[in-house]
Amino acid sequence: MFDISWLLSLASHFPLDGMDMRFMQQALLALVLLAPMTAALGVQVVHYRMAFFSDAVGHSAFAGVAVGLLLGIHPHVSMPLFGLGVGLAIMFMQRYSALPSDTVIGVVFSAVVAGGLAVVSRDNTIARDLQQFLYGDILTMTEADLCWLILLFAAFLLFQLLAFNPLLYAGTSGIIARAHRIRVALCEYCFAALLALVVMFSVWGVGVLLVTALLIVPAACARNLAQTAGGMFWWAILVSLSSAVAGLALSVQPWMGTATGATIILVSCAWFLVSVLVSASRNENRL
Amino acid sequence: MEHDKTPAIVFDHVSVTRSGLNILDNVNATIPRGSWAVLIGPNGAGKTTLLLALLGEVNYRGRIELGGGKGLRIGYVPQKLNLDRGMPFTVAEFLAMGIQKRPLWLGISRSAREEAAHLLEMVHASHIMKRRVGTLSGGEMQRVLLALALQQKPELLVLDEPSAGVDFEGGRLFCELLEDLRATQGFTQIMVSHDLGMVAHHATCVICLKRRVVAQGAPQDVLTGPVLQSLFGMHMGLICAESHIHRAPTLAPFDPEAALPLTELRPLEQVRQECAEQEKHHV
Repeated sequence: MFDISWLLSLASHFPLDGMDMRFMQQALLALVLLAPMTAALGVQVVHYRMAFFSDAVGHSAFAGVAVGLLLGIHPHVSMPLFGLGVGLAIMFMQRYSALPSDTVIGVVFSAVVAGGLAVVSRDNTIARDLQQFLYGDILTMTEADLCWLILLFAAFLLFQLLAFNPLLYAGTSGIIARAHRIRVALCEYCFAALLALVVMFSVWGVGVLLVTALLIVPAACARNLAQTAGGMFWWAILVSLSSAVAGLALSVQPWMGTATGATIILVSCAWFLVSVLVSASRNENRL
Repeated sequence: MEHDKTPAIVFDHVSVTRSGLNILDNVNATIPRGSWAVLIGPNGAGKTTLLLALLGEVNYRGRIELGGGKGLRIGYVPQKLNLDRGMPFTVAEFLAMGIQKRPLWLGISRSAREEAAHLLEMVHASHIMKRRVGTLSGGEMQRVLLALALQQKPELLVLDEPSAGVDFEGGRLFCELLEDLRATQGFTQIMVSHDLGMVAHHATCVICLKRRVVAQGAPQDVLTGPVLQSLFGMHMGLICAESHIHRAPTLAPFDPEAALPLTELRPLEQVRQECAEQEKHHV
């Protein structure tokens, strides 16, 4: 799509064994792009109480691949598009249905998981890919995927510049925001679309099971460490980015040999323990 | 002050039905510009629903006309905010999020900070600028929400039970603050309240609601025994409260302006209780 070799050669200078290998450069670049996005959106997910939403979108990944294979579309195209569709559908149903939002999500969640499993059970050749979706594999990111990720990052940056304040307003109280002429619906749909796409890309990185962790854990750390809403944004990014890089570095060590996604989440959980201690000691000082 | 004679709000045959239940039934009411309108009525009378219809949050039949069809800039102050109390979110940021275009993660601009400080000054809460929103008391939160609404430079201020969750003194101070702001900013104000004493003291226009409008008009015309009887279904009446004028300390000369009004409306039970307490103090 466009030339990213200069970015990869930049990544090759990172002081880590094996960075001369192409897949390592691609993995590092993918993580450096993905980590700030999941962190910042995670802060908003916490504020908006949308953890279940992102979980449901993540679990639609497998159905997305299955639908892609049925229709003859490449999984790396069908999966994000399917996730986007699921995210927007949930948002739409939440707005226009009298049901509580977690009930709506629960129904969609069941539908996509069952749909994915139904297709898999019909055709065993797809089942081989199942493990990749459960655990993720950042090392399989292709250059084309990275180009899409860079475009998504640009959209993410634009959204955070324009919509951070209105989204915070709307998350604080939808009624006040609407009364004060904030375009709440537009903000929410854009947020849902962006979140769905980022979740789908994250499924490749850490797998379906850990997607929500990638969103929630850095935000939870930041909540403990930050003093302001702006500070929470930066703390989450710091935690997420450092966990991603450290997780990648650790996972490729011969003595570790663990899955990259799981290692990243473990590092961020260690961050969380530290943040709990910091927050507890701060409370003591206050008393 | 404004000389625009068109009413601020006209409710024209407004009805709201939810799950087959009539919540509001043909509500007709007119609120003049610059007035302090108060909706009173028992629980389930549809007071909050009427406010939500006004804000466009619930579907209704009929017509609600704001500013003679031109619409009004609205500032809304809810009863309370359902907020994650541990969330790092300062009062300065809370106000700045509606003021500045720059995202808060790039910091608060100097002009936004100044405007936020000015808004807090208007609601007499300058000292809480640096506090977290989650640590505010009920009364402080109410002032911050009012400041957020004032930032809209409202032509119509909508308040949903502002005295809920605030003690008697806090409620009184808040009402005096609103009185001052309405005088200086010239907005029309509509609120829901259960505090009939406050209504009798401050309101210029009272709407008694019990699914439909039971009575509307100036407080002295509306707050009569028969109306309140049909509204609340219990015996309440205006009490000539000569015996409860809170006299200033004996050293200062008695100032009738500062004292509570002669006619203050409260449930009989409450008045009896207050009298008993006062007697205790005098003994």
